[in-house]
Amino acid sequence: MRTINLALRWFFASTVVLLHIHSKAHAHHAFAAEFDANSPVKLVGQVIKVEWINPHAWIHIEINDNKSDIGKSRKNNELEASQVWMIEGGTPNTLIRAGINKNTIQPGTEVIVRGFQAKDKRCRPACKANGRDITLMNGEKLFMGSSGTGAPRDGSDPREPKR
Amino acid sequence: MTRDIQGYRLSIEAIAIAVLLLNLSSAHAEYQAPKTLFGHPNLQGIWSNSTITPLERPYYATSATISKHQAESWQQRGNAYIAISEAPIDPNAPAPTTADPEIGYESFWVDRGTDLAIVDGKIRTSLISYPSDGKIPYKTTTETKLSIFLSKIQSGFDHPEQRPPGERCLVGYGSSGGPPMLPVLYNNHIQIVQNKDHVLIHVEMNHDARIIRLNAEHSPLPTWLGDSIGEWQGQTLVVTTKHFNAGQDCRASLSHWFCMSENATITERFTRIAKNEILYQFEVDDEESFTDVWRGEIPLRAAAGPIYEYACHEGNYGMENILSGARQQEGENNHAHY
Repeated sequence: MRTINLALRWFFASTVVLLHIHSKAHAHHAFAAEFDANSPVKLVGQVIKVEWINPHAWIHIEINDNKSDIGKSRKNNELEASQVWMIEGGTPNTLIRAGINKNTIQPGTEVIVRGFQAKDKRCRPACKANGRDITLMNGEKLFMGSSGTGAPRDGSDPREPKR
Repeated sequence: MTRDIQGYRLSIEAIAIAVLLLNLSSAHAEYQAPKTLFGHPNLQGIWSNSTITPLERPYYATSATISKHQAESWQQRGNAYIAISEAPIDPNAPAPTTADPEIGYESFWVDRGTDLAIVDGKIRTSLISYPSDGKIPYKTTTETKLSIFLSKIQSGFDHPEQRPPGERCLVGYGSSGGPPMLPVLYNNHIQIVQNKDHVLIHVEMNHDARIIRLNAEHSPLPTWLGDSIGEWQGQTLVVTTKHFNAGQDCRASLSHWFCMSENATITERFTRIAKNEILYQFEVDDEESFTDVWRGEIPLRAAAGPIYEYACHEGNYGMENILSGARQQEGENNHAHY
């Protein structure tokens, strides 16, 4: 019985510690400082440029309006609304160590980005969002092989553990 | 009476440090670090402090160390989580919900390791080794200071100076450059370079470079990362750091935040205990902020190079976006009032 209790305790403990780290840790800047948690977006488009820079890499995509959902995002009617979105990622250094470089993502690659738009919605020179989930068109993640903590879960993957 | 208690406390601490050093020296007596041209133990190379052991002991961990079996369970859960993170997503899934958007981006950008810290052959549940509960001994006033700091992060958008130093690329976020140098989500690599009179610690995060002057006196001027002087005590490099820039007072190691005063003294000990490992020990002594000293131990493991560029200012679009986003929200709020 004692063994079972210990096992359950550690199963629970290890789950809690991971969720705790995932839910509280943040990187170079706090998410909420730059992005609007009330403006979720789903962007479908083609990669046109990759900025392989620190503190955050930026993937530029030209979206397909018919396939994308920019939700509450406002289009600025005075200026022509940009179809180009800049997607913020993390440091490229982690990917370089995994053998991935800026040429790995070729212009023209079709991607799906699920994330949140920046609080600045003027879309000058481009709209901006964070790339919470970045996948190819078949749903495969753009990169893999991280030793990281994982993106937040929202139930879109049926294999996600229930909290 | 207070002085007596303090004296007693110092005596206990002195004994504890002596016991610690005795254990350390006996445990690693077999290994002799190679020497530099100047006859000092050679710490040079690229090292990583990545670990999934948190700074403070989680409330559900009842001991400082755990068994290999328990550690495997912990690590397997972490690996399973990564596997889930890397699993495909239904391409027809809608935009994300607004729930839990704390982490900004995909797991593949993150590199905080997969293993728990092992020190003296024991698997640790916290990086803090003293006090024995594995917790930072905050003073109430320090907790208040931290609350104010975190509140300012969420409300100070008038100009760049209101943003924390990490966002401004002044020092690495968290306590990556330290001291004490603590692991964060990524860029946990450091490079150590030695010459006769100096030791340089180059931290990949923000390219923080700390130059430690050997056998020197402290400069009274406050600086980012503090003023570090060092000396060799046998196989161990002992570094003392004082005079911190007040702007670097509050920092984090992943989810654990703490604030120090500019009058804090940090003592670090670097001992090469194997070809591929340095034992990094630190002590934080800051009477203004804590009810006691606190200490930690982190294995620095040899890592493949090189240290990569981290040209933070040049690519810091985030600062412009944060401030312009705040201006837009102000405009919207003002418009709503008329």
